[in-house]
Amino acid sequence: MVKMLVPYPENCTGCRFCEMACSIYHEGVVNHADARLQVHRRNVKLDFPSVCTQCIACGKECCMLHCPVKAIKKKDGVVYVDQDECTACGDCVEVCPFGVMRMEEKAFKCDLCGGDPTCVKFCPMKAIVYEEPKREKYEQVKKLLAVEE
Amino acid sequence: MKGYMGKILKIDLTTGRHSTRTFDESHVRKYLGGQGFAVELVYHGVPQGTDALDPKNVLAMAGGVFDGFPVGTGGKVAWAAKSPATGTLAESIMGGSIGPELKHAGFDAFEIFGKAESPSYIFIEDDKVEVDDAADLWGKDTREVPETLKKRHGWDVKVACIGVAGERLSKIACIDCDERQAGRAGLGAVMGSKNLKAIVIRGTKDLVPHDPKKLLALALQYQKVYEAAGSWIEDTKYGTGEFLGWVNKERGVFPTRNWQESVFNEREKIDPYYWATRYVTKNKACFACTKPCGKLFEVKEGKFKGVAIDGIEYETLYSLGAACGNSDVESVARANELCDMLGMDTISAGVTVGFAMELFQRGFLTEKETGVNLAWSNASDAVPQMIELMGNRKGFGDVLADGVRVAAQRIGKGSERYAIHTKGMEPPAYDVRGMKGHGLSYMTSTRGACHLRAGFYAPELVGKFWKWEGIDRFSAVGKGPMVATMENFMCVYDSVGLCKFSRGFYLIAKLPEVIEAITGLKFTEDELLKIGERIHNMKGNFNAREGVTRKDWLLPKRILEDPIPEGVSKGHKISVEEMNLMLDDYMKARNWTADGVPTPEKLKELGID
Repeated sequence: MVKMLVPYPENCTGCRFCEMACSIYHEGVVNHADARLQVHRRNVKLDFPSVCTQCIACGKECCMLHCPVKAIKKKDGVVYVDQDECTACGDCVEVCPFGVMRMEEKAFKCDLCGGDPTCVKFCPMKAIVYEEPKREKYEQVKKLLAVEE
Repeated sequence: MKGYMGKILKIDLTTGRHSTRTFDESHVRKYLGGQGFAVELVYHGVPQGTDALDPKNVLAMAGGVFDGFPVGTGGKVAWAAKSPATGTLAESIMGGSIGPELKHAGFDAFEIFGKAESPSYIFIEDDKVEVDDAADLWGKDTREVPETLKKRHGWDVKVACIGVAGERLSKIACIDCDERQAGRAGLGAVMGSKNLKAIVIRGTKDLVPHDPKKLLALALQYQKVYEAAGSWIEDTKYGTGEFLGWVNKERGVFPTRNWQESVFNEREKIDPYYWATRYVTKNKACFACTKPCGKLFEVKEGKFKGVAIDGIEYETLYSLGAACGNSDVESVARANELCDMLGMDTISAGVTVGFAMELFQRGFLTEKETGVNLAWSNASDAVPQMIELMGNRKGFGDVLADGVRVAAQRIGKGSERYAIHTKGMEPPAYDVRGMKGHGLSYMTSTRGACHLRAGFYAPELVGKFWKWEGIDRFSAVGKGPMVATMENFMCVYDSVGLCKFSRGFYLIAKLPEVIEAITGLKFTEDELLKIGERIHNMKGNFNAREGVTRKDWLLPKRILEDPIPEGVSKGHKISVEEMNLMLDDYMKARNWTADGVPTPEKLKELGID
């Protein structure tokens, strides 16, 4: 069974612990722009996580499709940015429907921490679960993100 | 020195200019962070005799040491200023995300003084600091203000703001951020007096911990400790009101109808065990909180349809509920929402309405004067109505808008006898007649009646805490030194930025390793408690300098004269002798004079100038 990050907006409390843990795990510092996922807090009713679906639910807005130099590839179900080929043009960041493609000198993204995702480990509320992908949960997050615009 | 940004921002609203200063390890060893930093700024920044609403007053804010780092429940931020309610140095702790964001912008603390010429807001974006026009925000509530500012500056900015109550200088006005409030001691009025409507922050800098791997390992370890504790499940399900039923029935100290009773006989209607399943649609948390006590409470039908709040907290179930004889939980939620949106502290606002309701019961006030039927039987309608009038300073609300002490002065006719407060601040939800050490802590609290300066309700209600066992809540003996120690303990908590809801898990012993993982600095338990003692002594010394001494600390007459009428604490009160015994013990333990003034030896020992 392929496992992915599955967001459960109804469980998210908006604490942003996952963002901090993700950033520290990968970069050794806390910076929310380094976190490979995002927690949105819009108003009293709305907190939710936005995670990378590894190309499962992105449709036409897919970073791999849009990369002009085809530097974004998939291996064993995980989408990754080939750091040697990335030209840092930013197209993937623009197009990512979940807003979780990141850019510093080169683009970078969620790699599922090699199969033991840090965000999942640190969420006590089960707002992000590592399990079989659930399309309806990704669609739910897409709808919530659309509210922002 | 890792973990800190090493800079403090100073903003002068009169000129619109700002400056920064750096600090080093010696500052950290003295004040730690959070409350320690904020108190230091006010202590050294406010000239003697300054009126709290004068431009010379300093409004300080500082994130705790843990702020911005992944430490469960470690996202608390401290505000401090001279309080318009009490005239003392008062701090108020909130769980908003503004503290961590300030650190990302490059500052561990800021201090604001002066007064803007017209309504303004401060916008901090990393090193850029601006004072911008807020004419369009003035008069707006605490939901509309962040909404407007986020549309203007981007959804990722963090916003702290005041409501109309703060603009109108209500002495019970609060500061709001993310539906969380720095509620107590009227700091919202200090902000309003500076023509400052909001503070908007975006920070993009890295926070660098000393040992990231160790920090993550510790975070996971404590998360497991939390989740293994039974209280985690209950607190997460029912929020802070989880033990309301127990305090009411098993301990009989849940103040009701303006402290005339201590058992609320309609308790089950406001108990979260009743309402959580009916009204709560989601859990809510402060920044970095993995033990969420926040509940999204929504009313879907009826006359309060549309109410949606992060609540209702234990204290608010008392203040806008039991203290006003209000057993309609939807009405409590609506009143809570009004307090949040208008920017008033729910504890002080509720206790003040309860006070007016008792005056109404006793015939001191009539509907002709108040414009609202303040009979206990009409509480469901009266409480939200009166709150709305108070926040807007309309009608009789203007009389009540500054809390019970000022309201009693305005009403006169001997109404002070029914005004429940110490140092001018309304008390929280523990009837101290049945928990005498906690009564002492209401007096010694530097910001007026408060349950969290010493948190002494926990040791007394449970009977044991930390290093003590077999504590008798009805006894006044030996409480002085214990309360002093707990005050130091709590100052440390507010300085590292941990929620006091976690104090039973970390205590003090666990803090050094977390501090070291973040900062690389080694502290012993005793060194931390010494810092706590220093912070408390600074507040005490400031207050004595402003003329607030023992004579102003005393408990209200009701607690000294009227025994609890029913329930398991029936017959208990704190006698004048017991009060004086506890105060004398406390002063000795602190090495303060009998009048409550820190001695020169004590100040010298702690390095306070």
